[in-house]
Amino acid sequence: MLTEIQEGKALNPVVKHITQEKINVYAEASGDFNPIHINESFAAKTPLGGTIAHGMLSLAYVSEMMASAFGRNWLSEGKLRAKFKEPARPGDTLTVDGRVDCIEKKDDVSYANCVFECRNQKGEMIVTGEAIVRLSNDKK
Amino acid sequence: MPDRAISYEELTPGYKFPPTTFELSASFVSKYLKAVDSESDGFVPPLAITACAIAATTKSVPLPPDTTAIHASQELEFFKMVPIGTTIECRIGVLQKISRGKMSMLILELEIFDKDKEKVQSGKATIALPT
Repeated sequence: MLTEIQEGKALNPVVKHITQEKINVYAEASGDFNPIHINESFAAKTPLGGTIAHGMLSLAYVSEMMASAFGRNWLSEGKLRAKFKEPARPGDTLTVDGRVDCIEKKDDVSYANCVFECRNQKGEMIVTGEAIVRLSNDKK
Repeated sequence: MPDRAISYEELTPGYKFPPTTFELSASFVSKYLKAVDSESDGFVPPLAITACAIAATTKSVPLPPDTTAIHASQELEFFKMVPIGTTIECRIGVLQKISRGKMSMLILELEIFDKDKEKVQSGKATIALPT
């Protein structure tokens, strides 16, 4: 699978629908009960105007795309850098896209430098960033 | 836990919060996978581990009154796969504290270890605090 990776290759996109129920379950699982995520009356009074999904929920979809493309190499030694640009809200459908920007070799080990973005159904950027994953299996 | 709660004003670069531990139980992983609409491959999803660390962070950081914390950016590096049932320890420290007009930014350093004291993840979280 990793032998098929080359510069410019698009990664299989991940599409997810955000609901308040998923946000609530995420809050329970993670223990992050910040009211901006789960308390609709509180959130409505803030500048955000309503509840928003945890940034890490959107980022989980990015990780799913990377794991799907790179398998255990991602899970055991992936690196990422992400910026949360706009909040994802209940009712949003998020699409995570990514591609291999370049392949670099360091000490005889190849790494794929990927770029990714997560947008909502209006095309608004929710998360953007870069990820690096080892390709070759001959590390060390 | 600290002897007394530290205030936001007292947070300075270099400050280390007391470590927190989590058991990455099968029920936790199951609930996490339901929330993120995904399936298990027998290991704890790395972002599930990060989620615990971020939650620990938001609980640890004493926010100024009437402040809503916004997760602005995240850097992560994974070092090993973690089996379900592992207990992890999260260590969080303050890297930078920045004030720009009506916005404060807190940059936190995260390190996560397993029970053998092997590093599982590390990263940086930037928390924006509009005032």
